[in-house]
Amino acid sequence: MRASDARSAYLMFLPVLIIEAALVVAPLIISGWYSLYNVRYFKIRGFVGFDNYWHILTSSSVLNSLFVTAIFSFGALIFTFTLGFALALWLQKDTATNVAMRAIVLIPYMIAMLVGSMLLKWIYARESGLSPMIFGAFGFGDVSILADPQLAMGGLVFNAMWRDSAFAMILLLAGLKSVPVQIFAAARVDGASRLYIFWRIVMPLLRIPILITVIRLLIHFINTLTFPLVLTGGGPANSTETLVLYMFRRGFQDSVLGEANALAILIFVGNMVFVAMLLLIFRKAQRL
Amino acid sequence: MSEATFEPPRRGAWRARVARRTAGSLVVNAVIALFALFPILWGLSTSLKPKDEIVAYPPRLLPSAVTFEHYMRVFNDSVGHYILNSTIVTAAAIVLTLAAGALGGYALARFQFRGRGMAMVFIVGVMSIPIASLLVPTYSTLSVLGLLNTRTGLVLLYTAYQLPIVIWTLYGYFLSLPVELEQAARIDGYSSSRVLWRIVLPLSKPGLVAAALFVAVFSWNDFVVAVTMTSSESVRTLPVAIYNYLGFYGREWGPLLAASIISIIPIVAGFLFLQRYFVSGLTGGGTKG
Repeated sequence: MRASDARSAYLMFLPVLIIEAALVVAPLIISGWYSLYNVRYFKIRGFVGFDNYWHILTSSSVLNSLFVTAIFSFGALIFTFTLGFALALWLQKDTATNVAMRAIVLIPYMIAMLVGSMLLKWIYARESGLSPMIFGAFGFGDVSILADPQLAMGGLVFNAMWRDSAFAMILLLAGLKSVPVQIFAAARVDGASRLYIFWRIVMPLLRIPILITVIRLLIHFINTLTFPLVLTGGGPANSTETLVLYMFRRGFQDSVLGEANALAILIFVGNMVFVAMLLLIFRKAQRL
Repeated sequence: MSEATFEPPRRGAWRARVARRTAGSLVVNAVIALFALFPILWGLSTSLKPKDEIVAYPPRLLPSAVTFEHYMRVFNDSVGHYILNSTIVTAAAIVLTLAAGALGGYALARFQFRGRGMAMVFIVGVMSIPIASLLVPTYSTLSVLGLLNTRTGLVLLYTAYQLPIVIWTLYGYFLSLPVELEQAARIDGYSSSRVLWRIVLPLSKPGLVAAALFVAVFSWNDFVVAVTMTSSESVRTLPVAIYNYLGFYGREWGPLLAASIISIIPIVAGFLFLQRYFVSGLTGGGTKG
């Protein structure tokens, strides 16, 4: 190892370091600093210590948005994961049909999140005529999906499931690939039923991929801004105002940047808990 | 299925069962495809309908006569300009990310240096930070740097967010190349930058294409970063423009959906042609959210 080699390695890595330091690390530091001040409309108006944090932790709006985030994330997780798992099992074999089907299922995931939500907003809209027709068939008549708190949450969850179950499918397919096919064949020969194979062979062998998929989906849902911003804007009556949406509004609509930064720091720390879990699982999986 | 059959079934019965199964899986596949594609096809159909047909009840599945009036209308409302902005930002982000990513990935793949392990952890760490928790801080940072409301600001942010996955992809690809070729070139007196440029990169085309596609899809599709960091019409990208059309056209869904379909076309076309590059990257990297 020559000294000049190490020097050129550092030089090669320098651009990466500069970009990430300036646009990812520096913002977090600035954020931590701003979060201790009263900042309104870009003007720093004085040091307030942990007042911003105290204000957030005791605010009823934050409490409401935490609750909304929890409901949305778990609802979206259950439906997205279940559908993704079903798709992975159904499209497991690498036949030409299955490869084509995987591509079709992935299209909602590939297009812009904003556009996907816009397309669903049109389906939910009463004027499109679809929801009155479907709900009318069940005798509900004139229902506006995004104007009813519970239905609006359902609309958000459906958006998540429609877009992201393909993502879950891809992650789980990679896990299924690592399970030797002979095990299934051997179990079938031994007379095991499909249900038995699923619960006693597939599930235990896929423990790690399942955990990884669940955590990655959770991180994604907790931090999703586009679905509520486009579909409901947080309404009706704040029933779909997630934590990230609340932070977005405090920062960019109310311009209370000190408090928004404190909220961002808290959300960041919360995320890091999940990321740490993910890294631990990876390390454990590598040791197995 | 599990009941054992001791006498071989008759040929006809076997055939009938196979036929039933094929028909059954065809139905399931059709339902899945309809679920995935219906919102897109319904939007496409609406965007081609004459104005009064869009809100007709009961809804018509297909337009009675195809019209491009809504597409003409969004082009009159400068959608062309927004497409251009999106294209510029996407292209610049691809170039910058690949340049910095190839250098960084090569350094990690082929050099032993102090801090290499830390650099890897740093890459994975940055990859796992969800963008939402960075929005408010980044807004303050860009205003300090004087890059708020500029295309340059967007390009730099997209580069920062996509660099980790690009480095990860290229690092893996570089590792799979035979090192002997590079050693031979070094003996011939090539500098390490010349080895990278003349030997390694020409051999890494599939890796570079896959990396470029991630950046392209991310930059073309991004709404959240662009809507927070830009406000003026001159730098507005296509997704932000579509979101603004929501207020601009009010309850007029024709132009709104026409603009949405325009945004989808390059993604769907590119994805169908280059599918294999995407899927390998989605599973790799592990922790990226």
